[in-house]
Parts: sequence; C-alpha cells; structure tokens
Amino acid sequence: MKNEITLQTRREFLRSTVLGSALSWTVPAFLANTLTALQSDAADSATQIVTGKDSTILVVLQMAGGNDGINTVVPYANDFYHKARPRIGLAGEKVIKLNDDIGFNAALSGFKTLYDTGNLAVVQGVGYPNPNRSHFRSTEIWQTASASDRIEKYGWLGRYFDNACAGADPTVGVAIGSQLPQAFFARQPNGICLNNPQNYRFMSDGHPKPGQVDMTEESYKKLNELEMSSAMPDDNNSGGSIGSLAAGMPMQGGSAVDFISRTALDAQMSSEKVREIAARVQTQATYPGSQLGTSLKLVAKLIGGGLPTRVYYVSQGGYDTHTNQIGTQARLLQDLGDATKAFVEDMKAQGNMQRVLVMTFSEFGRRVSENANGGTDHGAAAPMFIVGNKVKAGLLGKYPSLAPSDLYQGDIKYNVDFRNVYAAVLENWLKTKSAPILGKQFEPLPVV
Amino acid sequence: MLQPLSASRWNFAAAAHLLNRAGFGGPPVEIEKLAALGPDGAVSFLLDYEKIPDATSNPEWAKPDPERMRQIREVNQHGTPEEKKKLQQAEQQLQRQHIMELRGWWLNRMARGPRPLQEKMVLFWHGHFATSVEKVRSAYYMWRQNELFRRLATGNWQQLLLDAGKDPAMLVWLDQAQSNKQHPNENFAREVMELFALGEGHYTEKDIAEGARALTGWSLERSDEKFVYRPFIHDNGEKTFLGRTGNLDGDDVIAQIVAQPQAARFITAKLWNYFAGQYPNDELNTALAAVFRANGNNFKPFLRVMFRSEEFYSASVVRNQVKSPVQWLVGSVRVLECELPPTLISWGMTRQLGQDLFAPPNVKGWDGGVTWITTNTLLTRYNDAESLVQGTLPPLAAGDFARKAGGGGGEKVMKALQRVRMGGVEVEKILTPEERADKASIVASLERRLLQAPLKGEQEQALREFLDSKTRLNNADILTAIRLMMSTPAYQVT
Repeated sequence: MKNEITLQTRREFLRSTVLGSALSWTVPAFLANTLTALQSDAADSATQIVTGKDSTILVVLQMAGGNDGINTVVPYANDFYHKARPRIGLAGEKVIKLNDDIGFNAALSGFKTLYDTGNLAVVQGVGYPNPNRSHFRSTEIWQTASASDRIEKYGWLGRYFDNACAGADPTVGVAIGSQLPQAFFARQPNGICLNNPQNYRFMSDGHPKPGQVDMTEESYKKLNELEMSSAMPDDNNSGGSIGSLAAGMPMQGGSAVDFISRTALDAQMSSEKVREIAARVQTQATYPGSQLGTSLKLVAKLIGGGLPTRVYYVSQGGYDTHTNQIGTQARLLQDLGDATKAFVEDMKAQGNMQRVLVMTFSEFGRRVSENANGGTDHGAAAPMFIVGNKVKAGLLGKYPSLAPSDLYQGDIKYNVDFRNVYAAVLENWLKTKSAPILGKQFEPLPVV
Repeated sequence: MLQPLSASRWNFAAAAHLLNRAGFGGPPVEIEKLAALGPDGAVSFLLDYEKIPDATSNPEWAKPDPERMRQIREVNQHGTPEEKKKLQQAEQQLQRQHIMELRGWWLNRMARGPRPLQEKMVLFWHGHFATSVEKVRSAYYMWRQNELFRRLATGNWQQLLLDAGKDPAMLVWLDQAQSNKQHPNENFAREVMELFALGEGHYTEKDIAEGARALTGWSLERSDEKFVYRPFIHDNGEKTFLGRTGNLDGDDVIAQIVAQPQAARFITAKLWNYFAGQYPNDELNTALAAVFRANGNNFKPFLRVMFRSEEFYSASVVRNQVKSPVQWLVGSVRVLECELPPTLISWGMTRQLGQDLFAPPNVKGWDGGVTWITTNTLLTRYNDAESLVQGTLPPLAAGDFARKAGGGGGEKVMKALQRVRMGGVEVEKILTPEERADKASIVASLERRLLQAPLKGEQEQALREFLDSKTRLNNADILTAIRLMMSTPAYQVT
C-alpha cells in the first residue's frame, strides 16, 4: 500500500473516476482529493487487468476511399471479369497467382510473402446487407458496426473500451493521425490520437538550469489538471441534453470544458510515455516512407516499448479510383503490402508476433464493370485481410460470383457480413463477449 | 419563448458573448463599444451590415477566363499525350496557388473585415453546402460560391438553395453537370434533401429518383464557366415529388422542398446549433421555425430574434461551445491584436487542427463540437498559441507542408517557409503600464481579454505562482503567461 499519492496516480484517478463518471461536475475538488487517497491503488490495479503486458493487441488498418477488391484479389481466369473490364482487367501474367483462378495484384508482393509464411488470411466477399454507396455513410457503418438502416452514435471499438476496458489507461486505444476515428467514439471517451511523437507534447519556452523546475511546464500541468466546471445550471430554455452539443461525438454529461479537461489529462498523461518510447525503441525493418509506413513504424515502436494499448488504428487513403485506376491502386497496394510486411518483421524480431493481429477494412469495394475513365465507381463487397501468427491462413470462403445474373445493381454480393469478422476478433482475439458490443450475437467467423 | 433579453441583463459579458458567436470575438474596446449600444443597437450593428462599406477587392484571377478554357479544350481535343500532361500539371499548380490565395483572402476578411457576422454566415454556408476544391478543382468556382454565400448570407432560403444549386461549384461537386434525361444523376437530388434542407426520414427514395428527373436540364457551360439550362436534356415527363405532380423542373423541386414545414425546422435547428452551440429541443425548434416562416423564410429577421432572445444568453449556452479551428485562429489574432500569420501558416494551423477551408472532409461538412478536440489537436492548439504569441513558426508546419506539397514541391514550400515572418504579440498593446506593474491586474486583465470570464481559483493561483516565480517580470514572461492562459481547456471554448 502506497502512502504517498504521486501526481501521476492522482491524475490517473481524476481521469478515470471523477471526470469519467456521470458525477463529473458535481464532485467538488476537495472530495476528489480525499477519494484519491482511498482509491488510487484500486485504480492502478484495475488498469493492470485490462492492459497487462501480455495481452493481445489489435491493429486496425483502414483503406480509405473504397478499395477495388476485384483488382486486389484478382479472378484472373474469369471470363466475366475480363468482359466487364476490357481496359483495366489484369491478365494472368500481371498477377501473383495463388491458384488456377485467383491471384494477388502484382503490387501485393509484400502480402504474398505473408501468405507464404502462413501469416495472412484473405476473407473473400465481405460486406453487409443493403449496401450503401456513399463514402461517409458506408464508412460510418463499418466504424459503428451498425445495420445499414440504423444510425449508431458510438464506434465498435469505443463500445469495446466502454464494455471491457473501463478505468483503463488513456492509451488503451491509440489512433495514429490527428482525428479520432469514429470507431473510437465511446460513452467514456477513451483513446489518444497522435501523428508525430516528437511534437506530441506541450512545448515549453522555459529553459531551466539543471536541477531547476521549468515553471512554464509546471504551470501548464497545473492549469490542465485542475479545471473542472461547477455544476451546469439546469435551465430548460435551450435544448436537449448536452449530448447533442456536437453532431458527431456525443457527450455523456457535463460541459464542453469538462470534455476538454478530460482530453487534456489524457494528453498530459500519455505524452511523456509516448515520446520516451518513440525515442528509445529502435525498429529493425525497412518501412516505406509513406504515411502508412511511418504510422506502422510508430506502432511497432509503441508495442516494443510496452505501451498498455489494446487497439491501434492506422489508415491509408486514396483508394477512390474513379479515373486511371491501374497506376494509383498499384502504388497504394505496394505500400500496403510492404508496410505490413515490415511491421510483421519487426513484431517477430521483438518477439511480439503472437500478440498482434492486423485487420484491414475499406468502406466498400467497387463496381464489377469499369467506367469510361479507366477507373471504377463505388460498389459493395470486397476482401478483408487479417495478419497474425494464429490466423487461419489462406483464401477463406468463396470468391463472389461475377456472372451478370448474380450481381446486385452491378455489384458482387457479399458472402460474409463484416460483423462476423468483428465478432471473431472480439471473442477469439480480444477475449471479450461480442454481443454487447455488436448489439446482437454474430457467429464468429473461424479466422483467428 | 424567444422573449427579448431585458435591457437590465445587457452588460459587458452579454456583449462579449454576442460578438464571440455572431462574429469572431474582439478586444475589450470593441466589446465595450457594443455594450454601449444596448441590445437592439448591438444586434443591429452586427446584422444590418449593409450600412457598413466593405472595400475588399476581389483576387485578380477571380473572373471567367474564356481564353484559358479555350486553350484547355484545344489541347484536350488535339494535343499529344505529352502536351496534355504538361497542361494538366500547369493547371494543377495554378489552381493550388489560387486556392491558397483564396484562403488568405477569406481569413483576412474574417479577421479584419468590417462585417464579422456576414463572414460568420459565409463560414456557416461553407460548412453547410460543404463543397471541396479537391473535386471541383477550380479556385474561381470556389471563390464564386464563396461570394454567393456572402451575397445571400442573411437572405432568403429558397433563393439561396436555388442559386447554390445552380452555381458551377455545386454543379460539379454533386455531379448535376453530368445529369441528363437518359441517365439522371441522383447525387444532388439526394443531398439537397438529406443534408441541405430536410434531413433523413423526410423524403423517400422515390422522391430522390423523381427529383433527379425534374432536375435534369440544369447544367454547366464549361466554356464560359457558368450555369446553363439545356431543355433538350430535360425530362419533360410527369413526376411526383414530395406530393406534387406535374412536369416539374429544378425550380419546382427547390420550391417544393422549401414549402415543407420540416424545411424550416431543419435549417433553424442547424443555425441555432451553429450560434448557440447545441441543438434546440423540440419546443424551441418549433418556436424558431415559426419565426422563420412568419418572416417569409428570410434569415435576417430570424437571426435578429435569435440574437435578441433570452435563450441565446442562457447559462447553458454561454461559454459552452468548442471553438472551431477557424474561430480559434481568427478569434485569437483579434483578441491578441496581432497579425494573422502568413497564409501558408494560417492554413497549416487550421488544417492541422482539422478544418481545411475549401476542402471539407465530405458533403456532410465538419462534425464540429467536441470532435474538434483530440489529445493531438489539443496539444497542437497549445503549441500554436506559443507560435502566435511569440511569432515563431509552429512546430508541425514544416513537415505537413512538405507532405502536402509532395515530392519536388516540398522543397519550394520549405524555402518559402524560411522567408516567413510572423508578428507575435506586443505586450504594450494589451496591457497598460499600470496593469503591468501589478501581478493581480495582469491576470485579471488577461482573463477579461482572453476569456471574458474568470479562471477557476486554482488556475488563477497557478498563473500567479508562475508570475511570482519571476524576480523581475519582463515582457517575455507576460507573453508566456498569455500563452499559458491560451493553453487551458477554458480557452478552447467560447
């Protein structure tokens, strides 16, 4: 039992208990201080349970823009395919053959390596009922795991944090980028965002001599630790709940300042650790210089440094290939395969490969028929890639039929609902019940 | 509901709230002027802006350029692949340069222009009709749309929907320019109902299909860069749209949408959220919609009632809205009485913070509210505050520019960055010698300027300790204190 309450545990407590609870603006600061002494140990141990060092880790990789799955996992021997795509169809010599019917886009050499080492599962024909062809709506559906006719406020990973990681360190979810993905939206805001660890800090202009306190830095910490608004006046003049403050992320209770205060604590608590790890941990593999490569390299460092994170989120954009698709998609897929391959090499070198699972998704695939501009328009089902040591490697399921009579409004029909994949990831990988998170029981797809 | 705020409740704080929300805030002297006008006078000063001359001139490229269009057509039709590629690159570079100028032009109007409410409304319409140059690819079209929003900023709803729908930027953005009676494109027909005027659940898929047919004929004349109605691609058949049947056209579609009671509810709720920071409850929304309809769907009289109403000044509204990145930047340079950073820097800052002007993420616009705030953007705001106050380059800018400009362009941008000079804050402008001599006065004066409200006791204490730690307080220390006050959760709201 610790007698002394350190600043760190005090902040931890403020964040996880006071600001996090519905009581946020009704508990006075002095009471919080007293409670800190009683509960800091409990808060620490609660954190350990869900973020223990040996826990499994999920890396979600978003391929934004709607990747053309048909030219990614290519049915190169299929006549319907070449009939529908006279200009951009890929013939046998332009693919990396996996069998007599199907091959990878030649740019996916990185994935071929992972396929050969038994680290890659290709789930074919993933989608959902009543597909939506709007980027933002379909992205929202994947991010919230909702039915296509239902609007959900919270993200599926946010609901995982709410359900299974209450009281966890803010770094339980880490999104690489400047915006929090909707998948992280939660009743209890959780997870941090960063894109450049060097700048992920309050930059002080104080230059203290050795042994002296940096007063600017100290003052920043105090200013961002203590602020909690008093109870919100309850006037019925304007408006529904505070929850409707933003069109996007809903708020549980309290004011805008409370929300920001909590985020400020999360930033303060995570900044030092993140920078320390990023500076200390070295990676060995060679990553592409792209945004995705840089992101995955950072994730590799953070995992190697032991950040207690369960979910990392990285993204790669540019898949909206309406015109001149061939070159653009090849560049992106090369980047995707190479960056993922480098990441796997690092995980193996670190001895963390058995803890890590990478899952890709894109908001939709594209039409079977090419358009008039050497590209493809928004479609529906597409493959998902899952990378790890314990995946059921290889091509899973059936390639959806390309026969015109089997298409729905020009799109292939899905064989697998993405929520069956999410269920597998939640139950078999993150070891939590999926039904409370996905709204109902989806049969976990035997993929991991 | 919506009773006018009594004159006895009108004071400095109320005037500050009005200026923050109906504009981009301002230094104490501006707030005092507004407070002295009384509530009616203050609202009128902001709202009846036509009386204030605005001498801003247009960017010199902001006009149709038929000769350039002709050349482009010529090369596209008869040029070699090499010529086409060269033209494409030149065109891309030109548009990139112009759109950057346009960002600076607009940000300057917000920060220094004489009509803050007009610009605040232009920003609202930009987020509402969320059109991106990434697809439109013409700075001239984006400027035209921006001017259209300015012209009709507080005008008539039906007129605005019609003009925005027929404006080139929108014709390209939502593909109406590609629509014809053989292949009606549903994009605009859908979004005008879902996102612009009614909201989901107030129309059917059939209405979208029939609306798209009615809208055929609205098209874009690319050679002279303007709207054209083409009768030969218009579907002359009978359509039924939102309950009305006939040989309807695009104008009928807009008229029929605005005639729906839901139309008034939808846009007034969104405006209330924009200005008051939260969506109205049912009762308030009903009252707002009634005012709007009673005033012929005109925004100006509606806004007058709104800005005068007790509800707008209620405790749950005041200082409970997260500043958008643009509000944060423009508002900061206004209260700090310093210069707006050079366009590259201003753009870099707002973009980093999640709001890239003329490039909203999608047709839904920016989600806003608390989604502006992540651990990353919050720390970036704190560090950008340092940059504004001290006049130093923001830390992330360089890398971001290099990435955005990409490849060879990056070097050029980096060179441009080395020439960038920023003003920083002059302490003498902000604090009188008497205030500077007394630490309590410094804190109180900065609170009044930056927050128009006191900090929490512990925070005041922390700032005092900072000032007390300096044996001889100099201007550099005061600048740090300003930056520290901007590095609080409280400064991120308005």
